[in-house]
Amino acid sequence: MQNFRRITQGLFLVLFLFLFIQTESKGVDELGYPVKVFLDFDPLIFLTTLFSAHSVAKTFLLSIAVILMTVIFGRVFCGWVCPLGTINNMVGALRRKRGRPEQLPWYRLKYYILICLLASSLFGMQLAGVMDPLSLLIRSFSLSLFPTVNYGVRSLFDAIYNLNPPYLVTASELIYSFLKKSILSFQQPFYLQSAFVGGLFLLILGLNFKETRFWCRYLCPLGALLGLLSRSSILRRSVSEGCTSCGACASACQGNADPDKQEGWKDSECLYCWNCDDICPHNAVSFGFSGKKATAGMDLGRRRVINSMLLGAISVPLIRTTPLSKTGYSDPSLIRPPGSLEEGEFLRRCVKCGECMKVCITNGLQPALLEAGIEGIWSPMLVPRIGYCEYRCTLCGQVCPTGAIKRLNLEEKNKMKIGLAMIDKGRCLPWAHATPCIMCEEVCPTPKKAIWFEQARVRDRDGNEVAVAQPRVDTRLCIGCGICETKCPVVGRPAIYVSSVGESRSRSNQLLLS
Amino acid sequence: MVPKDLLRLTNLADAAERPDIVVATGASPAAITKAAIDALGGIKSFVSRGDIVVVKPNMAWDRLPEQAANTNPEVVATVVRLCLEAGAKKVKVFDRSVNDPRRCYVQSGIPKAVSPLGADLFYMDDRKFKEKQIKGNALKSWPLYTEVFEADKVINVPIAKHHGLAKLTMSMKNWMGVMGGSRNQIHQKIDESLADLCLVIKPTLTILDAVRVLVANGPQGGNLADVRKLDTVVAGIDQVAIDSFGATLFGMKGSDLGYVRAADHMGIGRMDLSQVRIRKIKI
Repeated sequence: MQNFRRITQGLFLVLFLFLFIQTESKGVDELGYPVKVFLDFDPLIFLTTLFSAHSVAKTFLLSIAVILMTVIFGRVFCGWVCPLGTINNMVGALRRKRGRPEQLPWYRLKYYILICLLASSLFGMQLAGVMDPLSLLIRSFSLSLFPTVNYGVRSLFDAIYNLNPPYLVTASELIYSFLKKSILSFQQPFYLQSAFVGGLFLLILGLNFKETRFWCRYLCPLGALLGLLSRSSILRRSVSEGCTSCGACASACQGNADPDKQEGWKDSECLYCWNCDDICPHNAVSFGFSGKKATAGMDLGRRRVINSMLLGAISVPLIRTTPLSKTGYSDPSLIRPPGSLEEGEFLRRCVKCGECMKVCITNGLQPALLEAGIEGIWSPMLVPRIGYCEYRCTLCGQVCPTGAIKRLNLEEKNKMKIGLAMIDKGRCLPWAHATPCIMCEEVCPTPKKAIWFEQARVRDRDGNEVAVAQPRVDTRLCIGCGICETKCPVVGRPAIYVSSVGESRSRSNQLLLS
Repeated sequence: MVPKDLLRLTNLADAAERPDIVVATGASPAAITKAAIDALGGIKSFVSRGDIVVVKPNMAWDRLPEQAANTNPEVVATVVRLCLEAGAKKVKVFDRSVNDPRRCYVQSGIPKAVSPLGADLFYMDDRKFKEKQIKGNALKSWPLYTEVFEADKVINVPIAKHHGLAKLTMSMKNWMGVMGGSRNQIHQKIDESLADLCLVIKPTLTILDAVRVLVANGPQGGNLADVRKLDTVVAGIDQVAIDSFGATLFGMKGSDLGYVRAADHMGIGRMDLSQVRIRKIKI
């Protein structure tokens, strides 16, 4: 059974990685694969979004399948499907086994985390994505691990290419071009906070050296939710009289299910990994369907449950009491992807999974730190100096699992304003330095260009007259895509830059009377 | 270059009547492209068996063929097909695009048209831009794409369209697509820079696509109202003469374009069309 489980886990992990790699443009406006499907099956995102936004994307009906599966079979999702669980398993296998591991008495912690997240979502704050295992995994892969792998592989092949050893370079270039076509990204991705997000992920992996599946046992809020749902499962473990209480099962257990305690077995902590069944020297353990209840209670403690709820509820005003709530204007650099809902609605839905940042064709979508407040950490924002919003691309809205970014058709997208460009006349070549330039106008993608020229004759220091075309921004036509800022040849601080003012999604963040 | 000169000597009488540039007009982009090349002596007077040929279209923008921002895919495909029929060992097709390369390539329709023919179409490799001595008036040296200089033959297949700064972009400006580095800085001295580029990039043949042209909001357009259908290609060796003629398609003269004047002045080609043998054919 153990091998059967491992194969299943492997298949789901491979599927996950495949879909992750496919979360990339191939030049058309469709991806061809349901790349976000793991998130669609996530009941934690389903519930918290339902609580915080009072509506939920239809695709989340898929997560009811996981709920039903758990109600019937217990936490099989954790033991057999969850890609983070599988990775934790794999890392845990590297740990040197020293007899029976010490189990910490903290398994309840994840329930308190869950209660806290549910309570805050009831009060309209969506924080589940920070700790939801699938969001966390996709985010960590997108923003950190995948860029790191790309960087390493590319550096290696570039080094061989530059050294140019005879014959070897032909072989290495062949391998390199194969890798580029299969698993590497089209171009090296770069993200703000890459090391931070990656460091947190490595920490989670590292905890496996303390105890295998430390995350799943003590921290995972989705595991906790499934644990609660599994209380009524009919797939149950039974121990026959052959048991000698040797304790072999306890050291093989992937959860904190206390399999050696027979009647005290905790079904909510069982990942149905079947290890106890496989390892039992007397073949005394078996799993089967029965309605009989012979398990330990949850015993979360009423006070602690109430405290967790209070903490979740209090976190809402605690986090929201910022000057932002008074002014109503977020950081002007907070340029949301096209199709994003009004900021409050957006934050009630965004789970910071990083799908949009992964798929962004120019690498311009980056994780926010505090630009959208604490609750907006790792939510997407466009940083035009890094990359602009491609005029005819609508991929971010296609991969958003919760509808925080609406799916737009091309026509809607082309009209959607995400900000407005303004010119820094003190830095612009034709404005300040009597030097011709055209870049912002040339790349401006609207059919009637939002950047227009006023022909001017200026004098240089020697008194020579120079004809220059001085760019202006048509505030009615500019959609804030930021390509002008990306391509502006004034390096460092650009001479034309985009801020969020004028964004279609906001009634108040407007420059002009309308 | 020797074999081509020999070929020219043997066909001296023929060559005397051969036009400098051919302007072919007709409904089929493929037919006018082939006719224009044939009128110049056929593809075999440019491409030899075993040659590695670079065909450089404009695939710089995330636009569709009917929006006339990238070279017409049928024109490019015809050039590729003729090169392969002439025995070219390899025909390489690439461009350094302005928008995302994946989108520019796919949306231009060029990969779909040339890949089935056996062209080697690829995304440019950053490692292959190498600093090249130019010794021009504006550009002393610049990182340029090495494959252009390693190829046996280079065929320029630009599209004619409006440009906010250079007024029009045609053959000479198409070479911005093999420039590495921060090429957007050359706009500061656009005319001199474009002429300088032509000191080192000397195409075997140029085919200017004017099947559809953009008359405003270039070089990327996006509004079909700015597109005119001229059903024309202009072919020849002298890209200055071609650009000078190209200007007339837009109601301008070659001398209206700073880079054409500069290149003429530097002796790179001829701007004065009265000195150029032009053959016009209709199909």
